[in-house]
Amino acid sequence: MKNRLKIERAILDLTQDELANKIGVSRQTISSIEKNRYVPSTVLALKLSLLFEKPVNDFFELEDSEMPMPNTV
Amino acid sequence: MNLKSFIECERKSLEKMKRYQLPNRFKKIGIGIIIISLVTFLVNKFSIENIDLKLTAKYGILVGLLLVSISKEKIEDELITSLRMQSYTFAFIAGVIITLLTNPLFNYIANIISQKQQENFQEVGDWEILWILLSVQVFYFEFLKRMNK
Repeated sequence: MKNRLKIERAILDLTQDELANKIGVSRQTISSIEKNRYVPSTVLALKLSLLFEKPVNDFFELEDSEMPMPNTV
Repeated sequence: MNLKSFIECERKSLEKMKRYQLPNRFKKIGIGIIIISLVTFLVNKFSIENIDLKLTAKYGILVGLLLVSISKEKIEDELITSLRMQSYTFAFIAGVIITLLTNPLFNYIANIISQKQQENFQEVGDWEILWILLSVQVFYFEFLKRMNK
């Protein structure tokens, strides 16, 4: 899954530590999400959505290989 | 299912994991018990040689490892929960493989070297199995945490 977390964080002028504190996780978690090492839970994605005031789809996007298969019926 | 109940559902599943964990300070207590038990074990091995003391030290190491294993991190968030689950899975698989392969393999090599018969084959004891499982979990969890920094 691709994400624009780093860009959204830069728009709000927040450090990884500040963002982590705002949504109640560790700086390590923010760093792992930004590096695409960890896919956050729905709860965390929604918390980020509230903070950025944007829908989740604006900063999380599926890779081409993760797209659902078209209905063949 | 509306948004609030969905969030509540996910939060509860994360809470369930935390129910079986001890506060962070137990990690230091666990490390202390491991160090004391290790020192006791080594002193006993090279000087006193008391069987009861040896057994106490061995089980002390296990208790210490268990405390370290089930203690919370300072910030116990969803990434840590996920890494912890990965480490338990890895420890289970690695523990079974090590138990199945290592001891017979070492015995086989020892038998070839010493030209002894297969009847000298040794089984892995309960302490060794638990020690392998807990140490693999604790070290792999620390490794995963460092990898995700």
